[in-house]
Amino acid sequence: MIELQSVSRLYRSDEIETTALHGISLSIRRGEFAAVMGPSGCGKSTLLNILGAVDRPTSGQYLFEGVDLAKRGEGALAQHRARHLGFIFQSFNLVDDLTIAENVELGLIYRKGLSGSRRALVEAAMDRVGIGHRARHFPHQLSGGQQQRAAIARAIVGEPDLLLADEPTGNLDTENGAQVMDILKGLNAAGATIVMVTHSPSHADQASRRIDMLDGRLVASVAQAL
Amino acid sequence: MLHSILVAFWRSFTRRPLYAALNLLGLSLGVAVFVTLSLLHRFETGYDGWAPERDKIYAAAIAFNVPGVAPGVRVGAMGGLLDEMKLDYPQVQGVRDWNQAAVIHRGATVSSEQIELVDADFLTFFQVPLVAGDRVSALRDPASLVLSETMARKYFGAVDVVGRGLEISDLAGGNAYTVTAVIKDLPKNSNLKLDFVRRLTARDIAPESTWHGWGGILLQTYFKFDDPTSVSALEAQLPAFVDRRVGKAFGDAVTPHEVLKLSFVPLQDVHLVDPKQRAAIETLRLVGWVALGLALINYVNLATARAGLRAREVAVRKALGAGAAVLRLQFLGEAALTIALAFLIGLAMVELALPLINAAGGLSLGLDYRLDGVWVAGIFALVLAVGLAAAIYPAFMLAAYQPAQVLASSRTPSGGRFGARLREGLIMVQFAAVVAAFVLMLGFLGQVRHMQSLDFGFRRDGLYLVTATRGVGVTPQQRQAFWSAAQRIPGVTGVTASTTAPADDAMNVNTTAIRLDRPVGPKLPPTLSWCGVGPDYFQTLGTRLVAGRLLDLAHGGDEQYVPNAGPETVTNAVISRGAVRQMGYASPEEALDKLLDFNRRKTRIVGVVEDVRFYSPTEKTPAKLYTFNGYPAYWPAGWPITLVRYSGLSEAEVRARLEAAWRQAAPDVPFEGKTALVNLDRYYKPQRDRTNLFSLGALVGAGIGCIGLYGLAAFNASRRTREIGVRKVLGATRVQVARLLIGQFLRPVAVACLVAWPLAYWLLRRWLSQFDDPVAVGPLVFVAGAGAAVAIGLLAVGGLAWSAASAEPGRALRHD
Repeated sequence: MIELQSVSRLYRSDEIETTALHGISLSIRRGEFAAVMGPSGCGKSTLLNILGAVDRPTSGQYLFEGVDLAKRGEGALAQHRARHLGFIFQSFNLVDDLTIAENVELGLIYRKGLSGSRRALVEAAMDRVGIGHRARHFPHQLSGGQQQRAAIARAIVGEPDLLLADEPTGNLDTENGAQVMDILKGLNAAGATIVMVTHSPSHADQASRRIDMLDGRLVASVAQAL
Repeated sequence: MLHSILVAFWRSFTRRPLYAALNLLGLSLGVAVFVTLSLLHRFETGYDGWAPERDKIYAAAIAFNVPGVAPGVRVGAMGGLLDEMKLDYPQVQGVRDWNQAAVIHRGATVSSEQIELVDADFLTFFQVPLVAGDRVSALRDPASLVLSETMARKYFGAVDVVGRGLEISDLAGGNAYTVTAVIKDLPKNSNLKLDFVRRLTARDIAPESTWHGWGGILLQTYFKFDDPTSVSALEAQLPAFVDRRVGKAFGDAVTPHEVLKLSFVPLQDVHLVDPKQRAAIETLRLVGWVALGLALINYVNLATARAGLRAREVAVRKALGAGAAVLRLQFLGEAALTIALAFLIGLAMVELALPLINAAGGLSLGLDYRLDGVWVAGIFALVLAVGLAAAIYPAFMLAAYQPAQVLASSRTPSGGRFGARLREGLIMVQFAAVVAAFVLMLGFLGQVRHMQSLDFGFRRDGLYLVTATRGVGVTPQQRQAFWSAAQRIPGVTGVTASTTAPADDAMNVNTTAIRLDRPVGPKLPPTLSWCGVGPDYFQTLGTRLVAGRLLDLAHGGDEQYVPNAGPETVTNAVISRGAVRQMGYASPEEALDKLLDFNRRKTRIVGVVEDVRFYSPTEKTPAKLYTFNGYPAYWPAGWPITLVRYSGLSEAEVRARLEAAWRQAAPDVPFEGKTALVNLDRYYKPQRDRTNLFSLGALVGAGIGCIGLYGLAAFNASRRTREIGVRKVLGATRVQVARLLIGQFLRPVAVACLVAWPLAYWLLRRWLSQFDDPVAVGPLVFVAGAGAAVAIGLLAVGGLAWSAASAEPGRALRHD
């Protein structure tokens, strides 16, 4: 599904040049649940951003279903995200001024050619993560765990091909973290492809594949028995 | 899309009411000032818009190039201009409008009105709207009368009064007229004031010398040209026309067209033909634009400041597949909604404030949505266009946030150093405008006060002017009886008559004066403004004698009326200090006993008096020559105005007593009079009104600036809560932190002063240059203007800085 070939990413500021990714090659198959591990600053989030098409590699190739995304324009990438990707963030990133239902709906409104009722899809997604009763609340009225579940609902409402999760449990206590992991595993079991960045070895162990990174390089990629 | 714009717009109110309120209030105030001053501009530049062929109609105007006569175009002409034009250019179409005082008789009661003596085709020429009667035939008969709806109601209590009769006295004496048409009331912004209209006939025409007296302004003459090229073609021929027609009337050595310039002024420009008036109106419109600009600066500042708070939202939306174009559209849509709502609120403010503004500015502005719908829509489109242009920067800035960077950082981006600089720069621009407006306002107010405290050369208070004595049909016996009765009124200390009085220009006569004590040069001699006076004139007016003596009955040679006067007859005169300069005498003393040829009469100067300021403060005080008549009761109609000096009486008391005396003396003529102060006020009121309007605009502008400063300070204070906590943990006191914050908030205000001062100085100097006697501008005005702006700024941010500095450090550090 995804092919990264010798992908590098350099950040240039006034005088300092930082290499976040060093020629990474990686492929992810449909239906995989990959957990990316590594210390802070090793390039995990950069990798996720490139997979999510919100950042572009400085060099190398990124093929999504055989299509080279590095050559696509800004608008095409935006449609690509709307159609194929779902994002889950450590700090939830719900829009404060929108209700939970409206936040979830954001996962659909930028998608062109969507037929049928958005409302039904939104309600279904909220019910799937168990926050249907919170539809009319604002994010700040919810607990952290509820907010993250809302963010997951937003990520999955459009039935994306690939779900990208950046430390989805990082801001949550153990119990809420476990619930989020259960939801992700359930989604994976139902066929979703997931790439998750995490600091938690126990959560990483629950993925079908574990990718270890250090200083912008892949150091290990191990398939795990579930 | 529309749904998500509406949601974002609505939530901005429910979720951040302070921000939304500041934003809307600032914008609405800006819109309100802009709409009001646009209304004023429309009113002032829309004169005679009721005339369907306004664009084709021109008024004859003249300008003089004569020493002693103020330059500038005067709209008006001699009576015979149209006749002479038609002799040389038979194709011209024109009509005349001669405004005259009239007395309307209704049984035993009499009242004063204005009547227009016009050519027979006047109504069709202007296509004057009628509610009754027929335009073509209405003025065919010299005994026919056309009046306005208002006058029809006033005198007949009805509108359809065709066929009714009315007796009117005017310069043609008392005559009976029959109403043939009723004019639909014209709007207030009309140069034509058509209360009563009758036909101008041969019996009205003044003596040939006045009717065809080149250089005189007797009446208005209007011409109609079907295309603009024919106007300029004819105008090019006017100098030759003037030379041909004037001939040697101005003297052998003078080329007439160099002294007298005849021109055509488009009807729509007649009202603002004085460039000073036009500049004043344009300045007020500029104030409207500035107010709108200040409000939009607020919008941009608050929008870009808040952009940081929305950066995360933008990043999320982008990660979810929104393109930059969609987001720009969303933010511009939100801006359009905000501007539209602000426009509605601004319109409501205008409606609420119009009575106040009309009172402050002496105006009669109003909005009629049935008639002005298109205008309001146009103004809305303009405001929306300008507003969206201002909103482009925040919209593009927001839509440009890179999701990867925003999502990676735990802190919200501030819009970068550029954004912060931009906001500071815009605040500076805003406050520069506020400081400049304050300085100008103080300068204007200073000039208005200065004009009121000026030495006018006579005592303005306790002086009553009775114009009834110059009325048509008043007999010498009636005048004399009135003067005798007036002198006996307790509290009246002096009664005199003259041809001119404060702010009375009905008898404005300029005549050339030639010095006989030296050879006559080839140049055009200077002109002096003539004034005929009766006994005790200067004493009653309170005008100081500078040299020589005043005129009186005791000196035989003072009497101007000399039966069978010949070329060698010499009469005495008094001139003003300005006339001493004008005629080139070294000093008032040197002018004494010198001979002049004044209006073809040998005149000896026996005294010099102080200049008197009878007219506009923007006009140079005319140099004057006074001649004396011992018996002004015998002056012709139109000449004698009565000046009454009184003390210890209220204005109402003196009027009541004078009116009672007048009714005894002349029951068939209505009483007319007012105090000199009231009469003079018509020259000072426009200046005062405009200063009031400007001050109002400046104060609202300052308010808008403060709203912006407050909004930005509130935003910065909340962003810096963590920094404040750290500073306090490190040992900073509350006062130190507050001082730091205030210093930073006010920095752009301080820089603004440096920009505003030179600008305000230049503008103020330019404005003051129009006055004959401008106030001296000291540094105090500039310091005070800046001080006021800084004080207002402090008021806006001081409390905020203090409460931010008072936050407990522990709480401040938890804040994110």
